[in-house]
Amino acid sequence: MRISDFIDDRPAEGIFRVHRKVFTDPAIFEMEMRHLFQGGWIFLGLAAQAPEPHDYFTTYAGRVPILVQCDGEGVRRAFVNSCPHKGARLAQSRCGNARMHVCPYHSWSFDSSGRNRAIKWKAAGAYAPAFDSDSHDLAPIARFDEYRGFLFGSLAADVPDLADYLGEARKLLDLVADQSEEGLELVPGQVTFTFRANWKLQLENCSDAYHFTSAHPSYIRILERRQQEACDDVVASVFENSDYWKEETKGIGGGSFSFANGHVLNWGVFGVTPALPLYERAQDLADRHGEGKRDWMFAMRNLTIFPNLQVAENASSQLRILRPLAPDLTEMQTWCIAPKGESAAARRQRIRQYEDFFNPTGMATPDDTVSYENCQIGFAGLVEPWLQGYGRGIAASVAGGNRFGDKIALEPARSVLAESQLCDETLYHSYYRAWASRLAPEFPA
Amino acid sequence: MSAPLTRAEAEELLYREALLIDSRRWDEWLAMFCDDIEFHMPAWRDETTLTQDPDRELSLIYYRGRRNLEDRVMRATSGLSTASTPLPRAVHAVTNVLVLAADRKEAHVSACFTCHRFDVRFGRAEVFFGRYDYRLRHEGGAWKIARKTIILLNDTIPTVADIFSV
Repeated sequence: MRISDFIDDRPAEGIFRVHRKVFTDPAIFEMEMRHLFQGGWIFLGLAAQAPEPHDYFTTYAGRVPILVQCDGEGVRRAFVNSCPHKGARLAQSRCGNARMHVCPYHSWSFDSSGRNRAIKWKAAGAYAPAFDSDSHDLAPIARFDEYRGFLFGSLAADVPDLADYLGEARKLLDLVADQSEEGLELVPGQVTFTFRANWKLQLENCSDAYHFTSAHPSYIRILERRQQEACDDVVASVFENSDYWKEETKGIGGGSFSFANGHVLNWGVFGVTPALPLYERAQDLADRHGEGKRDWMFAMRNLTIFPNLQVAENASSQLRILRPLAPDLTEMQTWCIAPKGESAAARRQRIRQYEDFFNPTGMATPDDTVSYENCQIGFAGLVEPWLQGYGRGIAASVAGGNRFGDKIALEPARSVLAESQLCDETLYHSYYRAWASRLAPEFPA
Repeated sequence: MSAPLTRAEAEELLYREALLIDSRRWDEWLAMFCDDIEFHMPAWRDETTLTQDPDRELSLIYYRGRRNLEDRVMRATSGLSTASTPLPRAVHAVTNVLVLAADRKEAHVSACFTCHRFDVRFGRAEVFFGRYDYRLRHEGGAWKIARKTIILLNDTIPTVADIFSV
């Protein structure tokens, strides 16, 4: 097997195809675990999830349980959340505050900087002298770093510095982080859901402008009804106040940017509209950051930091962590992300818009996730194994950026400017090129 | 003037609601709610605590006004929602009905539920379970639902949970 048996990437011929087995093959899934989720930078959480001394939260890097712990001086570290004694998961809760973690199995204890503080009945334990030559501290993960409150870790040491890994996509995280001088927070209330399909369907769907009018007509119909029969009981959606996505809209309304290492953005123009909770800060943000950057904060933006973080700012603002559990099973941890210090009215608007669109109990996300499951079923058909969903925009994709990105000095690897019906698919190429380069060690050259 | 709500009346009302929703009698189901219904399924803050304030914290579902439930029914029955077409088969079992407080105008009722859902497309059955907290109001000669709070205990949602499966 060669990597080209899975990703058929021939730019000179205008061909980019992905093989269905990429989504179904258990051996491929194991490679992804090794090289992507347990072998490179992944998003762990926000600094705001452990803001104070001794705060912690738990998460996963692939299958590996992770403890992100703040010590007494406010220094955050990331450890494998597993007792060195017998391997038991140490911290049991999603988040909390602990000066000490005591393993519930045999009471080995660790302080908030990860140091072993006590081994129960050590003196009476008749250990050989060699035992003392081993560290009994929690195992730190190989790399841990932060960008603007976004915490990332890597179980592999041999990775570029985080700043280099994120590259130009840092400027897109800035657009999220700079919405408040006080920074970001997660609105209390985490929503977790699963779907029985491959994680890369979520990766793609976030960047997929093509599906909106096809997968969400029931939501669009409700927006129309709310516009026609306005009343105070219903929340206004930014989509009903915007035209960029409608099929009859002409002119450049958005596009996509692709970056090194698999990060991508698709975007559309919402404009500075009161349908966005950020509206109350519109002038302040322009004063602080300039109108160009302010306008970008008001644009529809779906950002993926490869492989497991998505920040979707469209109907509301969502932070998602993708966690693959099996080739055909994925867990999504989702939060409403918000600038600190916004008014009560803006926060209420943000939350209502969020529940309406993003929740698995809402009116849009289920129509996506059920479609992923339909894809997963369809992937079994290998009569024609190459998927045709990567061709839109090939003839429009150009190296470098454009006049829109120039407003925040954005220098992407490639970009597409789009009318509403173009719906670029070349931004997925960035995912699969990063994927292929990371999995390459598994395949002969 | 009505008499205070009895447990038998509370059970009748909750069982009827379950029957109407499980048999997809949407208009009759919607008619059980006051115009200003507060329909609320809070999210969990952490393993042990629910979110409390729907204006400052996230809910799985939060609506004030029956109009929003009408929107949900419209979406579910429109044929335009992949997730809702065909609708899963579902049955609600409502138990442990208690009248916590009642007078002639208002009543506070608690109950437990399980909802078994069978997704006919994928051939899989799932169960949601939790507690209901109802505020009922005597209005226009009948008891109506003024507030319904759904405490969903198993909140890792398998793909989708719509208003008719909790």
